[in-house]
Amino acid sequence: MTEIAIAVSRMNKFYGKFQVLTDINLTVKRGERIVICGPSGSGKSTLIRCLNRLEEHRSGSINVLGTELDEDVRNIEIVRREVGMVFQHFNLFPHLSVLDNCTLAPMLVRKMPVDEAEALAFTYLERVKIPEQAHKFPGELSGGQQQRVAIARALCMKPEILLFDEPTSALDPEMINEVLEVMIELARDGMTMLCVTHEMGFARQVADRVIFMEEGRIIEENPPEIFFNDPQSERTKSFLKRIISH
Amino acid sequence: MNTPSAEMPDTAGPTDPTLIDRMRGRFFARPLDVVISAVCLFVAGFVFVKLFDWAVWNAVWTTPDGSSEVCDGIKGACWAVIDARWRLILFGVYPYEEQWRSSAACLVLVVTVILSCLPVFWRPIRLSLLWVCGFVVFFVLMRGGLFGLSSIAPTKWGGLTLTLFVFASVVLFGMPFAIVLALFRRSSLPIVSNTVAVFIDVVRSLPLVTILFTAALILPFVLPGWLQGDKLWRVIVGFACFFAAYQAEIIRGGLQALPKGQEEAAMALGLNYVQRVTRIILPQAFRNALPPTISQLVITFKETSLIVIIGFFDILASGNAAYGNGEWSFAYVEVYVFVGLVYFVFVFSLSRYGAFLERRMRVGHN
Repeated sequence: MTEIAIAVSRMNKFYGKFQVLTDINLTVKRGERIVICGPSGSGKSTLIRCLNRLEEHRSGSINVLGTELDEDVRNIEIVRREVGMVFQHFNLFPHLSVLDNCTLAPMLVRKMPVDEAEALAFTYLERVKIPEQAHKFPGELSGGQQQRVAIARALCMKPEILLFDEPTSALDPEMINEVLEVMIELARDGMTMLCVTHEMGFARQVADRVIFMEEGRIIEENPPEIFFNDPQSERTKSFLKRIISH
Repeated sequence: MNTPSAEMPDTAGPTDPTLIDRMRGRFFARPLDVVISAVCLFVAGFVFVKLFDWAVWNAVWTTPDGSSEVCDGIKGACWAVIDARWRLILFGVYPYEEQWRSSAACLVLVVTVILSCLPVFWRPIRLSLLWVCGFVVFFVLMRGGLFGLSSIAPTKWGGLTLTLFVFASVVLFGMPFAIVLALFRRSSLPIVSNTVAVFIDVVRSLPLVTILFTAALILPFVLPGWLQGDKLWRVIVGFACFFAAYQAEIIRGGLQALPKGQEEAAMALGLNYVQRVTRIILPQAFRNALPPTISQLVITFKETSLIVIIGFFDILASGNAAYGNGEWSFAYVEVYVFVGLVYFVFVFSLSRYGAFLERRMRVGHN
């Protein structure tokens, strides 16, 4: 078991001729909580989507839990098994019940028996505080509840790392807190987390490091005390001024 | 336009309106409504009386000696033609003494179809087992040559049994083929997606009659003997390709309606391609594509009557034969009404089943 969970070095990514990520270097230790922020179009979502190969990088290397992400489908499958992801638009499977959403991957990918998978699903549904919704369909739940189910679904694979791609951006304001609470609890339990978000309060509270990105580059990378109180880069300063001023 | 209370007088109280009140409100509220309703009622009544007169009151139902004399000079329908010829209509030119086999085979097929409509059988293993069993039993019964049953060539099969058999086989071979085509068409390899696109467009550009004709009559000159198989099978394969080309586009429509996030979420959970397709993508694509799929099945069921051009006697062709021998030639309307009713029973059931599926699949969807 390595201490390093994610090691990205000199990674570049293009959409056609347009360069979306430039010379990304990033090391994440086990148990670290990283918050990535930046203006829209800065490549922050693309960066974390590269970490489980939803996007391909062109050059440089990405190593996740000791597995190099390359063309090899087996490597990709190994990484995806250990890396969970929570999406902006939840992406629950609408044709499956909440319980089936949670048990599907453990049963198919981890070959877990049904009763074990269901017990595990209930454990995590309780943890996100909606075990009573287990037999409903995603379409019957509120946005906040759906996102909590999505977190439980990711946890059921017992991932080493959890990626959050703007998990609260599609939620109504009154539902943001119930999702953030679950995430804060996860952070306390020592989960390795990378979170793209605009929730600066959350970043201040749980992040070990905050990363600021702009135009496909990592501009600044600092612990929250320094990042928020004494940002080193002019661009970070102006970004923080813009989002915190109102 | 805005004349309140003209249509609903005195509906202040919450009392439930009686049937008569509701009828009055809907059909006789205004003078013009009264006129229109009265005319429609009169026309409907007239048509019903005439129809009843012809189809029931003045009709002749049976012919004891099998001759058409019972219908001489009658004013109503001559259902006696069905009484005398129903076995020809339902079983075609299948040998008369062996027609119990054809009816049993027909029943086996209908039961197999009904069973596969039940959600209990919606498991890949159960469904394939059911259909293998259904087809084996059907084939042994129809083809014979086993268990002391005399051998009867497919060229002698006919009537309703043949129609159902061709329909079931076309859908059974065509549907998996359509799924494969639809998935390949989304392939990221241009050579695969383009080849499939060309195949689909070529097959769709050809009339079904041409395809059936080619399969039945021209392929034997081209294919080596061991590949030719029976004429009926060649026709079914040709028909299945035609069905698959259309159905593939219907499924592709269902696939395109899926948000990209569905596949991404499945990928992020570590599901491999086959698992993603069978558990996440196809179930949702089929739900989206259900209404046009049912239409396609209905069209295919009715198009099976085209196999008559290469010499097969499906139920419509057998119907033609039933009145076409001079003795009953005056009773073609009755025969067509009967054949039409048979089609209606099957197609209508199919539509209702489609509606049931839609309701079932809407569970939990907004």
